[in-house]
Amino acid sequence: MTNSNNPNQPATSESEINEGLLVRLQQIAAENPVILLIGVLFLLVIATGIVQPNYLSVSGIRNTLLQAAPLGILAGAQTVLMLTGGIDLSITMIATGAAYVAANQSPNGAFIAIVLGILVGVIAGTANGVGVTVFRVNPLIMTLAMSGIMLGLFTAWTITLLQGSTVVADFIKLVGTGSFYENRIPYSVVVWASLAVILIYLLKRTGWGRLVYAIGNNEGAVRLAGVRVWQVRVTAYMLAGVLGAIAGILLAGRTGVVDLQLASAYLLPSVAAAVIGGTSIFGGVGEYTGTMIGALILSVLNSMLTYLNVGQAIQQIVYGSIVLALAWSYSSLTRKS
Amino acid sequence: MKSDNLKNKKDKRQRMISRNGWVLGAWLLLITLLVWYSTLIPVFGRFQLTSISKNSLPLVFLAIGQAIIVICGGIDLSIGALLLLGNVIAARFMEDQALGVVFLVSVLMIIGIGILNGLTGLVISVSGIPDIVVTLATSYIWSGVALLILPSPGGGTAPEVRWLFSGSESGIGGNPIIPILMMIIPTTLVFLYMNRSKVGLSIYAIGSDEIASRLAGLNVRWAKIISYAIGGAMAALAGLATVALTGTGDPRFSVGANATLNSVAAVVLGGVALTGGTGSVLGMVPAAVILIMLNPILSAMGINPNSAQIIQGVLIAAVMMVGGLVAVRREKAS
Repeated sequence: MTNSNNPNQPATSESEINEGLLVRLQQIAAENPVILLIGVLFLLVIATGIVQPNYLSVSGIRNTLLQAAPLGILAGAQTVLMLTGGIDLSITMIATGAAYVAANQSPNGAFIAIVLGILVGVIAGTANGVGVTVFRVNPLIMTLAMSGIMLGLFTAWTITLLQGSTVVADFIKLVGTGSFYENRIPYSVVVWASLAVILIYLLKRTGWGRLVYAIGNNEGAVRLAGVRVWQVRVTAYMLAGVLGAIAGILLAGRTGVVDLQLASAYLLPSVAAAVIGGTSIFGGVGEYTGTMIGALILSVLNSMLTYLNVGQAIQQIVYGSIVLALAWSYSSLTRKS
Repeated sequence: MKSDNLKNKKDKRQRMISRNGWVLGAWLLLITLLVWYSTLIPVFGRFQLTSISKNSLPLVFLAIGQAIIVICGGIDLSIGALLLLGNVIAARFMEDQALGVVFLVSVLMIIGIGILNGLTGLVISVSGIPDIVVTLATSYIWSGVALLILPSPGGGTAPEVRWLFSGSESGIGGNPIIPILMMIIPTTLVFLYMNRSKVGLSIYAIGSDEIASRLAGLNVRWAKIISYAIGGAMAALAGLATVALTGTGDPRFSVGANATLNSVAAVVLGGVALTGGTGSVLGMVPAAVILIMLNPILSAMGINPNSAQIIQGVLIAAVMMVGGLVAVRREKAS
């Protein structure tokens, strides 16, 4: 059918209308990646429900949320650092270390235990930040080395300083496993949600947050503008350390005991959640909301793989492949726009 | 004119020193450490030399692989997982087999894993996903595959393979010449390839300035794929060396992760900047041996193994910091 009113306008057939719609949808998805992510999450929940019909219930969702909370917090740390163009491969070791200290100090009361645990995060995070800024070490290397150092330290300390209690205080266990409303909303999710609000506020509404984005975007310009870049960076790594410590304490609360491998399984997922959620590893691009949905996606995926009962090897393979696939589709989607 | 000749000679020597300074320094450090170690223990002879050289082999190969990838401007966090894969494939399929089968398995495995990592390089090129994320993901995939092939430590290999890497068919003792040869020969071959062949030189160029290289007409994608492929093949060789040394396969994820960290440390210690485009695989030999020697030196000094692990971590971190500082100064100077 031709448009007789204006012969210069191209003919609009039905397939072209559909094509136009597809392009529009693609544009919307590219500009608001969060919508796409929510769609993927929805599909995954349905798929898991098909595999295990009991999943689509309060307890099933609750289990996923319980797992997603520490992951979401760890991924939040990665998000902040990736925004500055960095990364933290020591975050899971920081979490484990904080958990260890918290467990060990539990006889002194939950409050002291938590404070000292977070202190571990502060110290390790600051060390990372100093290494990256003052000594100009590549963040990948610095955090990788920090992870190794912490592993050695805590291995040694389990025999000496931190000997004794590896059992966690009751309050922490409560926060790790308990829930509001008769087992509906886990406390750890509440912790995650509060941290999320703080983190999003910091990133979007404060000058510091804006500097974080700016440094990841164009560090040279920020420096020329007179900003002390190293201060922002060190505080970012410190914040990541604190977040990692909180996640570690939550994890300890959930399992009730600590060991040196407590958080190590969360390392790739923490990076993956941030990448899937749209945070660029080169810096300057990304939001914590995307990361949160990324963390939820990975947790649902994990539940599905567990229900499929395939064994650790295949779980690892599928997990790595899906992370790759998601990152790829995300990258090609945002590149077209 | 005569004075011109003299100027040329001095310039040439200065340039050689400035370009290879770090590698020369690494060799010097190695010799110093060897001498110091020999004073720490009562007997320093053939056995000690053999054990140092043969235990360093896996890390030497791994570091060479990682170095090529880093020089081309990338990084491979899955290189330890690839070593794991090579290790378990060798251990599983070589046990109690005829020599011909063993040989076939080795060759196929090295080529196969090289192709696998080359595919990873292709994915990195085509998809635009940063190499850190891709190789982090593939490290999980390959570790999972390794776990499938060999669910728990075990397997074995042929005595000839053990001899090839250590000079002894049972894995105990041996002689130092064979491991040293196994270190020198592949390193020299790779060095010649990197410095004389078209692809090798383009790897340096691309690592130095990818955009300029592309504009100059170099095939960037192909060079990156090749760098990852050679890196994968070297990792497989390292896995083969591991099974030759230990006699078994170990599929645990932590082994691979540790190996990756060590490979990055060796690369930095050997003078290859993580920003790419500079450095030489010749530095990998002293770097890897130094890192492996840390443990025996620390235990000879009477330091207990846990503190030794901490000190090792701190030393690696310190090395990387120094490397980072040097790289920054190099950038400021240029």
